[in-house]
Amino acid sequence: MILEKSNNIRKVAMQCLLLALPTILFAFLILHRLNEAYPILKNQWIYQGIYFALGVLLSIVFYGKRFRFVSTTILLCLLFYIGYKLLRKISVGEFDMFFFSVQYGVFVFIFIIGWLVGSGFSRRHIFTISWVLILFCIEIILISKVAVVSASVIVFSFAPVLLYGFYIIYTAELVRKLNERQTSFGWYIARRMFGFMAVVLVVIAIIFLLFRKELFTLERAWKNVQPDYSGKNNNSQSLTKTNRDGTLSNNGQMPLGGSLNKTKQLVFVAHLDNPLPESDIQNPLYFTANYYTKFDSATQAFETDSLMPYNDLFAPDPSEYPLFFTQTDSSVIKNSQAILSRKVVETQVYKVALSAKDFIAPNTAFAMQPIPVPNEYEGQYSSAYNAKMWVSDLNSAYFVYNPAGDSSLEKFQEQRFALLRPDTIYTGIDSSFIHYYTKIPQGSTYKKIEELAYDIVRKDSAQSTIDKIIAIRNYFLSKDEFGQPLFQYTDNPGEPGLPNANKLSYFLFENRKGYCAYFAGATLFMLRALHIPSRIATGFLTVDRSSKNPGWYWFYEDQAHAWVQAFFPGYGWIDFDTTIPDINTQQAPQPDGTPPLGTQKVYFVADGTIENIDTSKKLMQLSVNKILYKEKSFSAKETVSINTDIAFARCTSDTGLLKISDLTKDMHISAASYDASLDKAAFIKTADTAAYILNYLKKPISIDEIKVIEQAGNGKKSERRFLNIQALNWSKILWVILFALIIFMLLIIFAPFIIWQYFNIRAGRKIQTTNTAVLFYLNQLGYARRNLSPQAFAENIDKKFMTDFNRFNSIYQKDKYSKLPLSDDEQQFATNFYKTFIRQLKSKIYWKERWKQFFHLSNTLFFFMKH
Amino acid sequence: MEENFNENLAQSINDIQRLIENVETVIRGKRSQIKLIVTALIARGHILMEDNPGTGKTVMAKTLAQSISGNMGGNTADFKRIQFTPDLLPMDLIGSHIFDDRNKEFIFKKGPLFCNVLLADEINRASPKVQSALLECMAENQITIGDITYPLEKLFFTIATQNPIELEGTYPLPAAQLDRFFMKIHFGYVDEDTELLIYQNYLSIQQNQIQVKQALSTDEILFLQNTAEQVFIHSEILKAVRNIVVATRNNDEIVLGASTRSGIAFIKCLKAYALVNGREYVTEDDFQELAHPVLDHRITYRNKEAKSRLLSLMIEDELNRLSKLKIH
Repeated sequence: MILEKSNNIRKVAMQCLLLALPTILFAFLILHRLNEAYPILKNQWIYQGIYFALGVLLSIVFYGKRFRFVSTTILLCLLFYIGYKLLRKISVGEFDMFFFSVQYGVFVFIFIIGWLVGSGFSRRHIFTISWVLILFCIEIILISKVAVVSASVIVFSFAPVLLYGFYIIYTAELVRKLNERQTSFGWYIARRMFGFMAVVLVVIAIIFLLFRKELFTLERAWKNVQPDYSGKNNNSQSLTKTNRDGTLSNNGQMPLGGSLNKTKQLVFVAHLDNPLPESDIQNPLYFTANYYTKFDSATQAFETDSLMPYNDLFAPDPSEYPLFFTQTDSSVIKNSQAILSRKVVETQVYKVALSAKDFIAPNTAFAMQPIPVPNEYEGQYSSAYNAKMWVSDLNSAYFVYNPAGDSSLEKFQEQRFALLRPDTIYTGIDSSFIHYYTKIPQGSTYKKIEELAYDIVRKDSAQSTIDKIIAIRNYFLSKDEFGQPLFQYTDNPGEPGLPNANKLSYFLFENRKGYCAYFAGATLFMLRALHIPSRIATGFLTVDRSSKNPGWYWFYEDQAHAWVQAFFPGYGWIDFDTTIPDINTQQAPQPDGTPPLGTQKVYFVADGTIENIDTSKKLMQLSVNKILYKEKSFSAKETVSINTDIAFARCTSDTGLLKISDLTKDMHISAASYDASLDKAAFIKTADTAAYILNYLKKPISIDEIKVIEQAGNGKKSERRFLNIQALNWSKILWVILFALIIFMLLIIFAPFIIWQYFNIRAGRKIQTTNTAVLFYLNQLGYARRNLSPQAFAENIDKKFMTDFNRFNSIYQKDKYSKLPLSDDEQQFATNFYKTFIRQLKSKIYWKERWKQFFHLSNTLFFFMKH
Repeated sequence: MEENFNENLAQSINDIQRLIENVETVIRGKRSQIKLIVTALIARGHILMEDNPGTGKTVMAKTLAQSISGNMGGNTADFKRIQFTPDLLPMDLIGSHIFDDRNKEFIFKKGPLFCNVLLADEINRASPKVQSALLECMAENQITIGDITYPLEKLFFTIATQNPIELEGTYPLPAAQLDRFFMKIHFGYVDEDTELLIYQNYLSIQQNQIQVKQALSTDEILFLQNTAEQVFIHSEILKAVRNIVVATRNNDEIVLGASTRSGIAFIKCLKAYALVNGREYVTEDDFQELAHPVLDHRITYRNKEAKSRLLSLMIEDELNRLSKLKIH
């Protein structure tokens, strides 16, 4: 009933229990998060929540008793105002006053909101909908405060509002429609509530189960897209770049200038197990992606050069190599020209945002073996590989870096310096090598840098190469005549006043502020000026955060780094990091996750193409090129075809999980088996061929892991087939949203017309449908039946428009309620009635008036509420 | 049987039309009220007319009575009129035993209740004692005095008039009594044009009143009553009646809701009203037009505001439900 009536005590109790209580709990949550986001709220969310709860509960009880809303609310405001005035009188002292009045203001504000919400629950029909919309708006504001927006953040912030919204709208209507006189009232409510909650939970569970994988993939993709590296943002530089598929890679170019863009995004996770002697510090701690050996003075950018002499960059594409097979490039070791203090170290890299095609490892890497990501970490990591490096014992992040009073590190440094000190000249080294790595562009500015380098070395009277490097390091760390640091670290060094001015000399002589690329660049030129072969390396710097998982390191995007490598005969390239510490910004600790442990032992791996696949029986015929058995690789002279059982196989590609049905003929895959029984096969000699071994293995071989290898030429074709997350194009999304909105608006505007068309088509088929169409048309024109009886309404219409509606109506009523059939005459009339009626109406109402009325959405809504 | 009914129907509709037109020669501009009164007559019920003095209630009742009984002899209905006053006693209505000198025994002298059409004028002026006397005869068509039960005429129709209870010298009718009236209608004033017409022709109207012809005989009325019973009422309309009656019982603002008897009365009235409107089936219109006259006086509201709106809202709800229905 629309009539306002006082609510029964049971109803009030139900409102308090079913509407107010969840709302208050939810308000606590929202207030808590608001307090986190806005320090102005002073983190007193418990008090604020209590104010809100008071408002809601009092209001529900109060308005349960037929009080007028506007007058009582005005009275309430007046009371608060008087309270405020009184407070002014009572309070002593300026500070007290301010404190109290702010507290009081917060109290009044939140209480009034609670009061309005309570009255809305108690009285207003559509209030819950607006309330939920308001909550959504608050949620959007809150999300804007979150630093890194990811899919899960959005899901987890909107899911509670959504759930609450569903709940409150449903329950409010339920409570409103309640018949308090009903027997077993509580049971009725409980049944309804349980039923509703069960349905909602089941729906959510189903959605979650169905889309869990997609959510995680989306999450990963979303994370990747977050920072905008589109390149249009001119004043922003990054040491990493975002690929087309949303993954990250190190930049192929490192221009100077602009500000450094840093985000907290996990790029990859790596495991190292080569601690320095008597320490838990791993060696090395720099993961190299690229070497910059050239400098383009026109763009003032450091560049990679594939033609660099003695190329020791091992850059395989892990996505193109079969699982478990090792790719080795021994020429890299040769080219590194390092023989002293080197040993082989292994690392495991689990990629998160890093592009599947990228290979990052400490230098000098020479072998790479793709491995699968363990099942339980499927959503966390996209792909993984093992790498082997020819690592220098001397090479460590702590080599020239500030040991910060750690005596063991100081000792370590001293030992290394002593080891390298005898090296002063580069004799016996290929002159083209020396020439290439000591090249400096011509020009007065570079001359100036050269002079500075000599100055520094002279001041320190450094003779050996290592002392020269230390002198340059010390120069960057030195203090000026006022005792202030000469150089400062900043992500945003600013631009020199003159365009095209040399940024390095601006950095070295004027500004003296910059980030790693500036320090590395300046150091490079100084070293080259001193005829020390050197180059810039980029990659990631390890940050030791916790001792929880020794050996495991988490690499976030802001750990992307650039540093200098100098060449020592016999020892090879050794890392030197001259970037000074950033004293201004404190690094917020980032949490480490759980490392992907539990890799299974693999007994058999086959690399080949699919000959035949039966997805229903889960059998696959594979034509094998080479196999890996007992950790030895055997190639097949001619391709051998084997039968495999893929019932338990997990299919992956570098872009995510695949279904078995995604596998097709002629796909290049590597199939691995964890079946321990395979190990028991016959004795194997290295001379055996793959075909020979395969003869001994039981068939079909059960496969546990299938990885699809994307061939370079095949890339485009496979793109569509795989669950491939494209980089999200924001402007495109905005356009789509805009388009959808426009469509929606148009639909709303033309809704009466569309509905009318629907009724129009159905009209004439039956008397019932004709009647609906007629009523709808009249309703749209502003002649609604309202509270008239059908006959009275029909008579009114007839009087107004000279129609025969009454006769039609009586036929309709007869058709509906009488058990007698209609006579032919009546039938005839009813069928012909519609067209003449509409024509008559159209002729009686001026078209302008007609159209104006017709598109009133409120008319349409009214119609569907009534009929 | 079906054909028989159809014939009867045509006959009945014709008869009713004749009756209404006959009444209309005296009562102008009151077609809907006349229809309702005829409905109550055909539904074997009684009717209560309420309005201010001078709106034509009594004239209406008299005219209807005369249209059935006529002022001539023959098969005419017996028409009695009782003017209710505060000092009226039950025996004045039902009659009393009087001593017969000649036969030395008590004989029963029948009161005015033993008639076909009873006009109970200003019924609410009589004391509750008298009201109670009417209860049995109105519900069961019989009178019990002592241990003897006297049946009333087969056709027994009460037209009661009352002034609004706010007027002085009136007793409100007890709920039990009100419940026995199938309908309570407000007579109301006629519209301005009709009023002018009445003033212009009051002489001829008065003449008509004296000379009202008999339109239908008692048997014909009884026949009409039988025919009305056979009018088809759809189960959805029955459901609507049930819904609305139950709704009046389950409402906070209503102290006393409608009884099951009122539901039955409603259905009888619906059938009769359909016949009065020349139909052999009941429609939504009948439902809407009768709901107020049938139910209004049986419901006791908590306050005036509820009285003015509550029932209308319930009817509206039911009507919307009906119009939404797709029966075929």
